Amino acid sequence: MDKLGERLRDDAASIDAEISAELDHRIQASLQGVAPERARAASQPARPYSFWWASSLTGIAAAIAVIAIINLERPGLGPSAGNSVKPLVTAQPLVMPGIDLKAEAAMLTNPLQQELEALQSDLKKAEQAVREDVELSF
Amino acid sequence: MTEDLELIEAAQHGSVDAFTELVHGYRDGLFRFLLTRCSSHADAEDALQDTFINAYRYIRTYDPQWRFSTWLYRIAIRNAARLKSPEVPELGELGDEESDPLRHCIADSERQNLWRSARRLLTDDVFTAMWLRYVEDMSVNDISAALKRSASWTKVNLMRARRTLNDEMNKEATVAKSEAYG
Repeated sequence: MDKLGERLRDDAASIDAEISAELDHRIQASLQGVAPERARAASQPARPYSFWWASSLTGIAAAIAVIAIINLERPGLGPSAGNSVKPLVTAQPLVMPGIDLKAEAAMLTNPLQQELEALQSDLKKAEQAVREDVELSF
Repeated sequence: MTEDLELIEAAQHGSVDAFTELVHGYRDGLFRFLLTRCSSHADAEDALQDTFINAYRYIRTYDPQWRFSTWLYRIAIRNAARLKSPEVPELGELGDEESDPLRHCIADSERQNLWRSARRLLTDDVFTAMWLRYVEDMSVNDISAALKRSASWTKVNLMRARRTLNDEMNKEATVAKSEAYG
């Protein structure tokens, strides 16, 4: 270990952190009143298959209803369709030059996934800091 | 490590004795760390007590892929932050010297304790990263997990903090030399 590392280690060791008998007793007493909680994943019961079927069917029905309403309200199909509606002159569609992308989906391995989560956490903290700065400046 | 895992398993099944034995080896280091992070001795004691209570309560969520100390430190950091009241100055801007718990815990010495300078010069997270690296001998990955930061953030900030503290150490040495030569 280098000079700085040794100095930091020595200086940390020189901090007197003796735990008093009273604190030790306090910790022991408070631990007696606590029981380990069940892991969250184990405590949540799995939803029955009927729940997923019901929600899927509800979603499909809602989508069909929305599509039907939108189609009925279109100018060409509604009750007032015909003489008063002028044909719309639309602009030529913009043609974007096609780019031949040869992309491959990346399979995230576990450490990469953790790194991604940590980066997202960094981003959140930075966002929080900016928000606090903005609040302070106003 | 194997012994730790056995104790963890027993604690997960509700053995307070196993948990007590388990944390016995970590409590001095953890308390020393909390003294550097809290605004008073009493706060550090409360944070230590809360850390052990929370650790025991959520022991079943402990993931053995991480070191047990990493997990404990993560809880301790959260507790220390929670106990910090808004009127307490940030570590980088310590105001009242008398209220600093470190001041009473460091034996009188000719030289300044570098951790006090670190508190003045570094932010909370960077200070913690340095502590975990040099006092607890944790790897960059463990430090990142304890702080919920990316590995690159940890590496960059450890390097910057090292540079800052090296400068501080050199400054101190220069002052001592000039005093010695009158």
